[in-house]
Order: sequence, then structure tokens, then C-alpha cells
Amino acid sequence: MRLRAARLAGAAVLGIAAFGATASAQPRTTLTVGMAAQDVGRLDPHFAVSTIDRVAVAWMFNGLVRFKPGSINPAEIEPDLAERWEASADGRTWTFFLRRGVQFHGGFGEVTAEDVAFSLRKAAQPSTSAFSGDFRAFEAVEVVDPYTVRIRLRENVPSLLGLVTNYAGGYIVSKRAVEQKGDAFVRAPVGSGPFAFASVTPNQSLELAAHEGYFRGAPQIKRISYRFIPSDASRDLAFQNRELDINYGRAQTAWIERTQRLPNVIVDVFEPAELAILNINTRQPPFDDIRVRRAVAHAIDRSELVRWRGEAVAREGQSLVPRGYLGFTADVPLPGFDQARARALLAEAGHPNGFTVRVIHTQLPEMLSAMQVVQQQLRRVGITLDLQVVEHATFHQQIRQDLSPLVYYAAARFPVADIYLTQFYHGRSIVKTPTAVTNFSHCSMADAEIDAARIETDPEKQLALWAAAQRKLVEAVCGVPLFETMLVFARHESVDYGYELKGSMSLGPLITEATRFR
Amino acid sequence: MIGFVVRRLVAAVPTLIAVLTLVFVIVRIVPGDPALVILGDQATPEAIAALRARLGLDRPLHEQYLDFLLASLTGDFGTSLVTGRPILSEVAGVLPHTLDLTAAAMLIGVVIGVPVGIWAALHRNRAIDVAARILSLLGLSFPVFVSGIFLLLLFALHWRLFPVIGNANLSDPADRLHKLVLPAITLGLVMAAYITRVTRSAMLQVLSEDFIRTARAKGVPWRAVVWKHGLRNALIPVVTVVGLYVGILIGNSVLTEIVFNRPGLGKIIVGALNQRDYSMLQGLMVIYCFLIVVVNLITDLTYGLIDPRVKHA
Repeated sequence: MRLRAARLAGAAVLGIAAFGATASAQPRTTLTVGMAAQDVGRLDPHFAVSTIDRVAVAWMFNGLVRFKPGSINPAEIEPDLAERWEASADGRTWTFFLRRGVQFHGGFGEVTAEDVAFSLRKAAQPSTSAFSGDFRAFEAVEVVDPYTVRIRLRENVPSLLGLVTNYAGGYIVSKRAVEQKGDAFVRAPVGSGPFAFASVTPNQSLELAAHEGYFRGAPQIKRISYRFIPSDASRDLAFQNRELDINYGRAQTAWIERTQRLPNVIVDVFEPAELAILNINTRQPPFDDIRVRRAVAHAIDRSELVRWRGEAVAREGQSLVPRGYLGFTADVPLPGFDQARARALLAEAGHPNGFTVRVIHTQLPEMLSAMQVVQQQLRRVGITLDLQVVEHATFHQQIRQDLSPLVYYAAARFPVADIYLTQFYHGRSIVKTPTAVTNFSHCSMADAEIDAARIETDPEKQLALWAAAQRKLVEAVCGVPLFETMLVFARHESVDYGYELKGSMSLGPLITEATRFR
Repeated sequence: MIGFVVRRLVAAVPTLIAVLTLVFVIVRIVPGDPALVILGDQATPEAIAALRARLGLDRPLHEQYLDFLLASLTGDFGTSLVTGRPILSEVAGVLPHTLDLTAAAMLIGVVIGVPVGIWAALHRNRAIDVAARILSLLGLSFPVFVSGIFLLLLFALHWRLFPVIGNANLSDPADRLHKLVLPAITLGLVMAAYITRVTRSAMLQVLSEDFIRTARAKGVPWRAVVWKHGLRNALIPVVTVVGLYVGILIGNSVLTEIVFNRPGLGKIIVGALNQRDYSMLQGLMVIYCFLIVVVNLITDLTYGLIDPRVKHA
């Protein structure tokens, strides 16, 4: 009797399994992407600040120009909604000529100069965009005719094309859709990209449908199911089980090697790398003494950090600007790893037995473990970090309140030195000031060079100014560059992106009209 | 009966207001700014101030509190600060998943836990009892993120019977059931372990009572003594525990939801807390409190069914 009951129960479970398995079969025109996140945020591209949102809006929106798919090289920027453009001799007036016949999703009509002007003005407004600071130099955006837009600048910017590309505030939205939908636009956006918003199920997935009228041709993928799976283990199992075609990867050599061993799987490691810097508050004792800051710099062993993170995904930081950015230079007086020198400097500064300092840090596992390695390295020369580990949102608020003398911060920005230098090392960006961004070091000694480089029209002089700024900042030990970490995504071999993925400013693979299943 | 239900619901209103006030205060005491979360790390103070104004976070606290209280009591929870989506529709989207999981876990817990608990009590200190105690201890000490991954490895990856991604299509009953099996087993086994222990100790206590001895002395068959006299009396603490546990499960099944990629109330609460989504947290707490009140009410009503001496008047 009991045996029969057990058999019946087993048969019921198997029955459910078999029935469900049949029901969940999917056609191969649906691309399923797994992302390490709980949910998307605001899908208005001008509010897309998190990785999960950036990846998704890049599939739905266009800029006036775009990075060549698979590249983050500003020299490879190519036409997108604009088929061509002209710049005035002084570089302060730019005219963009739009393609004709480009359609927005959902019958919202043709992309016109009105939409472009509306979008760029919206992106420049603090109340309607998270990227308004990038557009500070914009004086006016004018509609010349339905297919021509003119941008007038107050002063030169290092890369005007960078501001109107398919990145951050450069995305073009439908004016009519924004006005018609109002607040609802953030949850059902309208763009002109290869994929259109279809639906979002909270905590589950964002569904996108192919934009059949896309101006580069109908996408070969007909649907994208963007799944929010915060658990790394579950996401990896789902990928292994072929429930995901593309998987957000972990920037760890062990993970990459393990994933590469799976049959028919490709792991893409690509730019932009995030540069982790240990920012030092140069106003706060004992770090107001440059000898102490130099001791910190000499105590850091970058090669050990890279070995710890894994050479497949990490490389040593060489300056206070990430490698490969326009304006980066490795020609800076970066203090080398020298523990004896670090101890001598500490003794010279009146700390022969070292000291203890309270440092606020986030509980995010990847950042916490990196900081713990730094903590160990500093302990070897007598500097004890008393880590106050707080929740991530608290960390962001407290470091902006200047509550931590050392701030570990990892970031990638638009690949031009100006953005990084301005946000992290310009006097205007010092935390707790009305114009604050993320200058935790309180350094301002390179302001003149950064400002001059921003408006310099001679490329060689501009590079020289950026290099001079980096040398000054490194010499003053405003921060200690640690290591750079690349982005990692895995995919099954059946997924062909349609381009070679070497970089992506949207921080995830671009799914274009050419992306297909092999 | 109806009067009892109405009185209980009315009595819950002050509790609800107290909880709402606590939630309102606590989410604002915790450091972290929702505007900064929304705008990201490159946001300028100007942009943060503009967004705070737009979200109404710059208004005096008492104004925000009164608005929130009035809106909550009229069932208007507003929209999420982070996603901009209406809170009610967000909750409505995940609540069936949470209720499915809670009900299924409870069912598994009761179906396994009660008989095993009785069985163990009837065989006190014998092999069956020892085995039940060891297994229930294992069930309680195994974290769901370990047992869940283990089940996924076995049933999803090895035998390919169930999917890893458990976000079921609510309009498809087969899919809903299919994706419920593994998470329900994971959570149900923990509940079964808990119920086994409670049932065992309640049964042991009841079986040592005088009225059981009297019943045996009167010649009532052992089976009838156990089921009619023993179990009925032992069930009161079991129902109390199940009621409490179900209340906890509604909000605390977050680990199971994460491991099996299921949407759910617990997951939304944790997400809202991480993102400092004040309006979402407040709305969720109202709904969560309401569910707890309903579960407690059902528990109280069940007492009456088990033991007619319990009056609702």
C-alpha cells in the first residue's frame, strides 16, 4: 500500500516535470540573457545609471552617432541617426544631418530634429536626466529644419561626438512619447533601436520585441528575454542548463576557467575596464602629510592584487586614469612597491609604529574582498585599517559626506581622460561642496591643466596637458591606482553577436540587427 | 463568526498604523539617499536636489507622513521611487508566486511533519523516533540556499526534470505547478522539520495526560485514542506554530526566491531596502501587515474548528 502511494507520488512529480518541460520549450528566435540584478530601474535612457539598465537601453535606443559595435574606441565613432555632421572651425558649433525615414517604436513616427533637440535638452536638465553634468558646455540645441540639428557650445569640449553617441545622455527619445506618456515613459520607453520595449515583469524579466521597421534592417533575433537573476550560482546553473543564451559573468579567473570548460561556450572579456583607486583625503591627518601618503603608495603591491583577482580579467593600474582612455599616460612617477621605504617614510612622518585609521567600506562582496587585500598589504607596513563595513547605499552616502579618509572606488567612464580627471580630481568635484561629484582626495592642484585640456583644440597640446595633470596628481599621491578589471559575459557558441566583442560602453553585449543564432 | 472577523479586522487598524509609522521613521533614519541610488555615482548635488524635489522628498517630514498615512489607508500606495511603476501592480504581480510557494510549503510541511511527529511520539526513544529527530534537526539546520542548489543540481542539471529559472507564467497552471515543485520541496522540508518537532512534543505531552489513560482504561482502541483524543488536543500548538510560520514565510522566503529565481514579496522587500525605495517599502509593509492579520485570523478560526471549547465571542 505504502509502496503504491510512493510510486504514485513519484509518478505525479515526474508527470509535472514532463508536462512543464514540454510547456516551457522556446523557439530559437528568442534570445535569453541572464543578468545579476533583481530588477531594472527607470528605463528612461537618461536615467539608466546601473549596469542592468545601461545594457538594456542600448538595445532600444540610438544616438546621433554610435561606437562601432564591439568597440569603445572614440576614433571609431560612426554615423547612427545622423548620417553626417560638420563642425565649425572653432569647434563650438556642430551641425548634424539626420537620416530620413527612421521610425520610432510603436507608431510614434519618424525621428526628426525636434526629437533630437528635445532629447538633448532633456539630457541636459538636472530634473530630467542623471547625466546633466556632462552637458554643461551646451549653450543651445537648435532645430534648423526637420532633418538638421545644430548644437552651439559655450566652450570646447574634448569630445562632442562622445556626448551625442549611444551612451548615457546621448540617447534620442521620442518627444511625442515622452509628452504623451508622462511619468509612464520610465516604465514603457519608446526609442528607435533594433528592439522595442514589450513588457516588464517585476523581479522577473524585461521583454523586448524586434523593431521590424529598424532602419538598418529587421533584427534576426525576434525577442529578447532579459532575466533578472541575482544569485550567481543559480544564474550559472541556468546557463549551464541552456536556459540562458548569454550570462553575465564574474570577473574572476576561476569562474572564467570553469565556464570555458563547459561544452560549446565562449567567454568574452572586454572593455571598458573599471579602474580601482585608493583615494586619499589629502586634508585629513595623518594623510595631510605627503610622506604618509607616499608610504601608503609604497605599501601597495599591484602585482599581488592582479594575481589575486586573476590575470585573465585584471591588470595593474598605471595612472589615475584607466589605460586606453584618450589622454592616458603611463609616464607618471608612480611609487613602486617597497615596504622598507614605506616604513621609513612612516617613521620620518612621526609614525614609527604605524597607526590605525577608521575607513568606511561597502559590504558588496567584490569590493569588500579587494579592500581586505589592500588592508593586509597596508598592515604589513604598520598601517591598520579599521574597516567599518556598511550597506552599499550607506557607503555611497557616507563617502560623499567625507566620513572616510581612504575611499576605495572602482569606476569606468567615457574613455576620455577629461571625464575621469574632472570627476575625481578637479577642485569643483570635491565632496561636500555644492558642485561635488566624486573627488574624495580634495586635490585641486591639476585644475589648470584639466581645464586647459578640456578646451584645447590642438590634439597634441591637449594630450600633453592631460599627461601633466596626471603627473601632478600622482606626485601628490591623491590616490593610489590599484588594478583594472574587465567586463565578462559568457555565451553559447550558437549566439553570434554579428561583430567581434572587444568593448561595449553599455557594459554588456550590444544586440543588434545582425545578432543571430547560428 | 462574522462579528468576530470584523472585530479582529478593526482591531488590526491601530497595529497597522503603528507599523506604518515605524516603517516611515525607520526607512528615513537609515542612511542612504534614494535620489543618489536613482541618479548613480556621477550625479551632482544639483541633480540630486532636483530629483528629491520631483519625488517630494524635500517636503517637511510631517507632510510626507500625513500624505502617506492617508494614501495608505485609502489603498493608494503610489509608485516606486526607483522603477516608477505602480506599487500595487508590482505587488499584485508577485503576490500569487508568494502565496503559491507559502501554501505549497505549508502543505508539504503539514503532510510530512504531522504524521512523522505523531509516529515519533508513539515510538518514543526507539529507532523511528531517533531517526525522526535527527532528520528534523538536519532539516532545520540545512540552509535553503544549500538544499536548494543541491536540488537544482540533481533535478534540473542532472536529470533535467525541472528548470533552474523558476519564474512561472501565472496564466499557465502547468507551468506554475512545474516551477513550484523544487522551491516548495526546499521550503516545505524545513517546515516539515519544524512541525515534526512541535507535533512530537505536543503529542508526548498529551499522551501522558490523565484523560488518555482513562480512555485506554475504558477500553477505547489505541488508534481511536491517538487520533480522536490525542491528536485533536495536540493540534492546537501545531496550528499556532504553522500560523506563525506561514506569516514568517510570506516575507522571509527571500532566499528560496533568489536560489530558484522566483519572484516574490520577500525579494521585493529586500530590493526596496537596498535601493532605499521609501514608497515601495511603505506600500509593501502595509500589504505584509494585512496578510499577517489575515493569517492570524485564519489561525484563530482554525482553533474553533479543532476545539469547540474555543469561543469566538
